[in-house]
Amino acid sequence: MAAGDIPNSTAQTLQAARESLDEGLFPLEFFHDEGLHDLEMERIFAQSWVFIGHESEIPEPGDYAQRYIGDDTFIFVRDESGEINLLFDSCRHRGTEVCRAEQGNTSHFRCPYHGWTYKNNGEAAGIPQKSKAFKDLDREEYGLAHVPRLETYEGLVFASLAEEGPSLDEWLGDFKWYFDVHMKLPEGGMEVIGEPHRWVVDANWKTIADNFNGDSYHTAWAHGSVVDLELGGEETVGHAGTGESLDRHIHCDGHTTSMRGFEGEDVFLTYPDEIVEDLFTKDDLSEGQWELAKQALSFTGAIFPNFGFLHFGDTTDDPEKDVAPFFTIRKWRPIGPDQMELWSWGLAPKNAPEAFKQRMYKMYTSNFGPTGNFEQDDVPIWKSITEAADGQFAQSQNLQLNYQMGLEWMSEMDIDDEWLGPGFAYTENLEEGGMRLFHEQWYEMLAGNDRTDATGSPINVTEDR
Amino acid sequence: MLTDHQADIESLLVERSVEQFLYYEAELLDNRELHEWFDHIADDISYRMPRRLMRENQASAFSEQGYYFNEDYGSLKARVERFDSEYAWAERPPTRTRRHVTNVSVSEDDDSLDDGELHVESNLLVYLSRGDSEAHTFYSARRIDTLRQTDESFEIADREIRLDQTVLDTDNISIFL
Ligand code: FES
Ligand SMILES: [Fe+2]
Repeated sequence: MAAGDIPNSTAQTLQAARESLDEGLFPLEFFHDEGLHDLEMERIFAQSWVFIGHESEIPEPGDYAQRYIGDDTFIFVRDESGEINLLFDSCRHRGTEVCRAEQGNTSHFRCPYHGWTYKNNGEAAGIPQKSKAFKDLDREEYGLAHVPRLETYEGLVFASLAEEGPSLDEWLGDFKWYFDVHMKLPEGGMEVIGEPHRWVVDANWKTIADNFNGDSYHTAWAHGSVVDLELGGEETVGHAGTGESLDRHIHCDGHTTSMRGFEGEDVFLTYPDEIVEDLFTKDDLSEGQWELAKQALSFTGAIFPNFGFLHFGDTTDDPEKDVAPFFTIRKWRPIGPDQMELWSWGLAPKNAPEAFKQRMYKMYTSNFGPTGNFEQDDVPIWKSITEAADGQFAQSQNLQLNYQMGLEWMSEMDIDDEWLGPGFAYTENLEEGGMRLFHEQWYEMLAGNDRTDATGSPINVTEDR
Repeated sequence: MLTDHQADIESLLVERSVEQFLYYEAELLDNRELHEWFDHIADDISYRMPRRLMRENQASAFSEQGYYFNEDYGSLKARVERFDSEYAWAERPPTRTRRHVTNVSVSEDDDSLDDGELHVESNLLVYLSRGDSEAHTFYSARRIDTLRQTDESFEIADREIRLDQTVLDTDNISIFL
């Protein structure tokens, strides 16, 4: 569908969204809407850079893993020459899926239907009885289809179903400055430990996108059990807006990160001294990036549209044990208007001692993933929003959800003039501008516009927009 | 002949007492009497649930690094105590569960066992019903335990939970298996 020919229902949806967004609101019904889901798949997920996996998940030639963009299944595979490919998992003869396992290693993918085989770079290798049955068929035209664009940033592989559009580098923009801190702080970078946790939950993907775009307000309440049990320091889990720590909500080129830290202190996300001394390096970071890492206690954030991360210090699995950090990245894959699959990975510095990597992975599973002491309590909340959005009432009463925290008439909000990084940093974490920024980009893409139409200016200061 | 019988009867009695313990344990967990359950956890416990892998040529493969649980006494205790908090929203209201324990096998002569320890395997099927809904789900697993005899009962010294699903169909895992 061309951008010009928008059906009535879509035009109405966009109009309703625009009116809500202008007030810092969002219609509840949009968290459960079949038509909207189809539109999101077509206009957002088929046009964006979507996270696929980390290179370290498929280190050897032939290593592969099944991965998804929306409803499409792909094979994420390292070929014999060491190149990474993302192949559409469908035999070019009659469509059968040729990859049957979640992960493995193979030189060829063999179709179970009539036996066509493909090399792990996608090329068609064997067609049974070709000389009799398919004399004129050109093998070169019948390889597995490659995703139109596949690019890597610091080992993180993203794909785009769109033939054209911004490069991954442009998509991430200056937000790389922030993500570099996570990926490049330890010498040798970060690697993925084990395989991702995967679980299918009955919640709309925008609920979690909202949460990762700066919901500092929920932490102390929704995760009150973690506070009660002293499984995290007061600053990591405690209330937003105390003003005791350095709390910043940062927006940069459409992506966001929330940070807590301590000005002028050597925090380094509570990595132990020996890791900081032996492994952390300024080599690949600027002075400002190093300064940020030094002061930081925790980061949460999201890359539009469906990638999230948490890099926390000062957490434990047992109040009797020392605190340690964890680093986790994730994606939320929409399956329907009321369902998504969560994918969550634990990471650790590649060159850290084995015991420390294991401790970080333990911290990750104790806090996040399906068994995490934090995350156990998040998912049912997102599910219940989705349930409330279903049915007639949300629509007939035009129920609007409130994202006005941080708008000038709601709370005191300043932009930090001295902020050391790109984008904007709000001086408080009692604000919901990250969510509004997410909604604005969602809106622009649904309307067929450029995502960057929404990303330019501070989202809290209404006159400037 | 007589001594053979005696040995048979003795191992039947052991098997029966193990089964009775597993049923009792299931009842405690179904009733969410978590502290009473935790009284049966040995202080050198290793409680693990590795991530199941899906491989083309292997029926049963588990991750060497990835897991859902890898708990010692302190971290398992913290997980139990978390549910005492009024903010542990995942279990408010508590999931209605019913654990079905079957296919129990008991062996006493495993080299890795100390005196008074038993190697016990069992199948576990848990029915879960949540919220104000007719919807339900199941967790299915093979459990591999080391049980240790105490004065009147058993304690769990080691447990590996081998879940059958690779992609979970659940909001979270906020129950003990
Ligand atoms: S469908 Fe694959 S060989 Fe025919
Ligand atoms: Fe949360």
